[in-house]
Amino acid sequence: MKTVKLLVAMFALAIMVPVQAQTADEIVSSYLENIGGVEKLKALEGLKITAKLNQMGMELPLEIYQMKDGRTTTIISVQGMTIKDQTFDGETYWGSNQMTMQPEKKDAETTENYKLNLNDFPDAFIDYKEKGYTVELIGTETFDGAETFKVKLTKEPHTIDGKEVQDDTFYYFDTENFVPIAMTMEVKSGPGKGMVQKITYSDYQEVDGLYFAFSWTIGAEGQPQSAPLTIESIELNPTADDSLFAFPETATESKN
Amino acid sequence: MKKIVLGALALTLLSSFVLSAQTAVESGKQLFGDLSARHIGPALMSGRINDMEVHPTNSRVIYTGTAGGGVWKSSDAGTTFTPIFDEYCQSIGAVSLDPNDPDNTIYVGTGETWPRNSVSVGDGLYKSVDGGANWKKLGFEKSERISNVIVNPKNSMEVYVGVLGALWGDSEERGVYKTTDGGTTWEKLLYVNQKTGCADLVMDPNDPNTLYASMWEFRRTGWSFESGGANSALYKSTDGGKTWNKIHKGFPEGKLGRLGVAIAPSNSQVLYTVIEAEKDERKGLYRSNDAGASWEQLNNDFGITVRPFYFSRIVVDPRDENVIVKGGLNGSISRDGGKTFKNLGQMHSDIHDIAFSIKDSDIMYVGTDGGVYRSWDGGTTMEIVENLPLSQFYHISVDDAEPYNVYGGLQDNGSWYGPSSSPGGVQARDWNSVGYGDGFRVLKHPTKNIIYSEMQGAANVWRYDVERNLTKTIQPLATEGDPKLRFNWNPPMAVSAHKPDRFYMGSQFVHRSEDMGDTWEIISPDLTTNDPAKQAQEDSGGLSIDNSGAENHTTVFSIVESPLDENVIWVGTDDGNVQVSQDGGKTWTNTVANIQGLPANTWCYQIEASVFDKGTAYAVFDGHTMNDMNPYAYKTTDFGKTWTNIISDDVVGFARTIQEDYENPDLLFLGTEFGLYITLDGGKEWKKFTNNMPSVAVHAIEMHKATNDLVMGTHGRGVIILDDISPLRELSEEVMGKKVHFFKSQPTEMVESSGFSGSFGGETQFVGQNKTRSAQIKYYLSKRHTFGKMTMEIQDMQGNKIVELGPGKSKGINIVNWAYTRKQPKVAKGKTLSFDGFTSPRVAAGTYKVVMKKGKDIYEHEFDLVYDKKSLLSDADRDLKNATTSKLYDMTQELAYMVYEVDEMLAKADTKSAKKLKTLKETLVITTGDNYVGSAEPQLREKMTALFSKVAASYDKPSSSEMKNLTVVQNRFEKAKADFAKLKKKYKSKEPLAVKSFDEFLDSN
Repeated sequence: MKTVKLLVAMFALAIMVPVQAQTADEIVSSYLENIGGVEKLKALEGLKITAKLNQMGMELPLEIYQMKDGRTTTIISVQGMTIKDQTFDGETYWGSNQMTMQPEKKDAETTENYKLNLNDFPDAFIDYKEKGYTVELIGTETFDGAETFKVKLTKEPHTIDGKEVQDDTFYYFDTENFVPIAMTMEVKSGPGKGMVQKITYSDYQEVDGLYFAFSWTIGAEGQPQSAPLTIESIELNPTADDSLFAFPETATESKN
Repeated sequence: MKKIVLGALALTLLSSFVLSAQTAVESGKQLFGDLSARHIGPALMSGRINDMEVHPTNSRVIYTGTAGGGVWKSSDAGTTFTPIFDEYCQSIGAVSLDPNDPDNTIYVGTGETWPRNSVSVGDGLYKSVDGGANWKKLGFEKSERISNVIVNPKNSMEVYVGVLGALWGDSEERGVYKTTDGGTTWEKLLYVNQKTGCADLVMDPNDPNTLYASMWEFRRTGWSFESGGANSALYKSTDGGKTWNKIHKGFPEGKLGRLGVAIAPSNSQVLYTVIEAEKDERKGLYRSNDAGASWEQLNNDFGITVRPFYFSRIVVDPRDENVIVKGGLNGSISRDGGKTFKNLGQMHSDIHDIAFSIKDSDIMYVGTDGGVYRSWDGGTTMEIVENLPLSQFYHISVDDAEPYNVYGGLQDNGSWYGPSSSPGGVQARDWNSVGYGDGFRVLKHPTKNIIYSEMQGAANVWRYDVERNLTKTIQPLATEGDPKLRFNWNPPMAVSAHKPDRFYMGSQFVHRSEDMGDTWEIISPDLTTNDPAKQAQEDSGGLSIDNSGAENHTTVFSIVESPLDENVIWVGTDDGNVQVSQDGGKTWTNTVANIQGLPANTWCYQIEASVFDKGTAYAVFDGHTMNDMNPYAYKTTDFGKTWTNIISDDVVGFARTIQEDYENPDLLFLGTEFGLYITLDGGKEWKKFTNNMPSVAVHAIEMHKATNDLVMGTHGRGVIILDDISPLRELSEEVMGKKVHFFKSQPTEMVESSGFSGSFGGETQFVGQNKTRSAQIKYYLSKRHTFGKMTMEIQDMQGNKIVELGPGKSKGINIVNWAYTRKQPKVAKGKTLSFDGFTSPRVAAGTYKVVMKKGKDIYEHEFDLVYDKKSLLSDADRDLKNATTSKLYDMTQELAYMVYEVDEMLAKADTKSAKKLKTLKETLVITTGDNYVGSAEPQLREKMTALFSKVAASYDKPSSSEMKNLTVVQNRFEKAKADFAKLKKKYKSKEPLAVKSFDEFLDSN
């Protein structure tokens, strides 16, 4: 009899989970807990992500470093050469010119907007209240055929083409396990302006007690399916010399 | 112990329960996955606009509410727009921003408010508090049309809504409403009766408690329109809507029609109203200089009085009370306070709304029946926004060209055809005009290069000889003894699958021609109810006669000849008859009485004759012109003796069109006012299709047989195509119960067409998406893959890996594209990039297999690739091409390894060796310069990859010139190898070398 009750209770629980009212805060807490816990996440000093992008027969190997202090770089290998993009050394945000393959600084607005995200490692949701961010549960939505909670994250306003605008991102947390399976945001500048950028996440796997999505598909709503970024390995707390990120001084000098 | 076992059992049960809960398919979003629609426009003539709205403080931000294509936002001052309301009703009455929070808070009142015969309907009021990313409905479900939404500029909680209300019948949900809690609760402030709604509402910007509301008595039926009555009036409130008084001092006597009203933002005393009155001389523009206390008539030019129901918007320059603009056939502007007007600059006719830029009155945004126009010089010169694909199709057809063309007629924008795919995407320049006026059916002759098109009321039916660029008109004419022929505004035409030159048209009769319209024969009696009460169109319009032909009624609306038997002809009429002839028109039977549950005289919009059985047909009825918004569709299998309802509660919006699949009789597609619905079980359950498919009115659906593409003519978003629906044919309970199911696929033809698509100046134009040419791997997943690894690769039948692909992870249908190419070769490292080296060679035709690993499970599926059927290459040619490409591919990789070895050796060489290695290397790859004009002299790598790319990318076999060039490259490579071998022998290093093997090198980055 007792076990019958248990069964009933467990069934009830199973049914309750997807339909139960959740607050955005509860969803975010469950998410951080499920991927390893805030303590462990906060203890992270950096990540080294080794990945590749397969597109139109081209295989682009990538190495991405993300450090707690905001230093980051993406190293792309092409025909045996390496090109750095989206690199920040603590001061300068820079990339490489496709023609000269030489380093060039990103424009001031892009740099300032990047600096706003320095406190988001390894996850923007950690201490979101302390950072002045807000989260809001928009509702449930079917995404990739799965039921999700759609949560809006509002960060500090950023500046787009000279005007300050609100910075909203929408996350779609799987109702079953509270990990985000997608993220959407409006493209606010450049050729895709007005379109909605969509990143879907899958292949969550554990690395030393933390869970990461090992497959990211970056595309836009209404556009044909794009190829995913496939992560081969993630190294926690990698050694990363300053020279990895530093904007080469000679680059500016030689141009002056 | 027992407990543990039971607990484990419970867990097992639990997990199986959870699994089944997640694998069940309840909605289209859980089923259709990657099956996604693509839009091909056209946008060059755009479509009808209902409302323009500017941001009060940011001049870059402009919104437009469209008649049938949703809400679009521009953040570049009207240069380009993007849609922000696709999931909801696409017929828009008003878009308004909260002046206190204009970046985030947007209100959208649905239901267009210029109620022509072909208007759509709205379904309520919506609000977004995040700039349009998410929307919430605030009610007003039965409002049908919302004319204005105004937020108090001093209090965001206070919002006024003007509801015009139902067009086709009585409704109490109309008048002026107010909320004081941001939209949670509403109070009806001004209501007249069930026939009179709020046509215009304005607030004094300097005093939010002062409001002006015009109330309009109006009604439309399928056969008449009535504007005006004793209840139309202009009201004013000075207490926030609590009390209202008529302000008619100086107004014309008698009944009034539609009134537009505007207040000068720069002077609250100055008001304008445009009045529809009984007497023509008393119609026109009136001005008040005392905030409505008295009025003076200023102007009754044609441009001011024309078609008040369609044009009554007045807009006052925010900086000058004497500059006013009035919507109309051409649009009019006055710079002397309304005394005299001139036309706005040349643009599409039928101007519905105008907005001045907040910064400069020279800049204007104008909404027309043909899209949004911008002016930079105060309305004199107009330029069209080129990326608003709002075209409103009435009908659609396709041909058997490759790629096939899509044909159709547009509301107020003529008739067109264009390709379903085109190099660089389907652009404005790809579309061809094939008819004037309002366009409806456009049909391609089944075998000849001839197109039939028509305009309203069959005033002209064109037969267009495309090759000779010749047209003639071929509409049926009355002959001796015929009564007056009654053609619908949207008259039916049909061709025959049996006799290519046969052509049908319908008036109240069926007309048949066996010679492409030169000779006509009436093959039926009057098939309509011939009700004289519905035939008095010359009196239609109310206070302003409006006999455009749009209300012609008691006519044949749909004609279809069975594809299985030329003697079986189905006819549907606009007054609700369903007639069938089984003897080529000699005798006719009206079967509508056999339909249970269908209200009498409901418009039969389409009959679809089955391809499976000649006694089987589908009939779709649209009752919205009788104020009946329910969908109706029925199926008969016995020539109409009995009909079965095939609509379920899942379907929202009245229906106009149905399409039967060619292979699976239970697979049907239904077009409703709010989008596309699909049934897999013959109509027991319908699922809404929403992948890149807005909730737009679908007026016509055609399936293209050779490609299995579903082509939709939408009334507001142009042509939308759902490519290759064949996976839907296989979706059964059994398939959906499997974890993974690969769908069958036809062999993929590796298309070889290659051309040019220069598109200078097209930066701000809409470009329609092309159909993919890739091989597509399609499979069904019963659950979304989120945890653990999932990979996919293509292998040849010997198990050699060709390429890795990124598998889709959605629950439902997944589609992975493969461009039938292998990985690019590993290219030697130089100072610059070898762009030719980025060539991915195609694989040979044959059978390949996809190997998908999901966790521990491995799934395999085989599929075939075939060469382009149009290719002229022989098997020997193919072999030569493939072998030469492979040879160059391998050489490129060998050279890459050689350069790698040289680099490794260089790094550790003594000075003498280094010098020699460097000299060698300089002949192998570029070692200086950049990727642009600083480029250095090409070396072996460049010459080799250039030839590789040239041979691989050509549709042809290698030419003798290419083969001779190959010899040059080979000889040089051989020499380099020999030189390198010599160097290796003499090489002296400072430290030992650790060189990777060739295979290790290939696997490295």
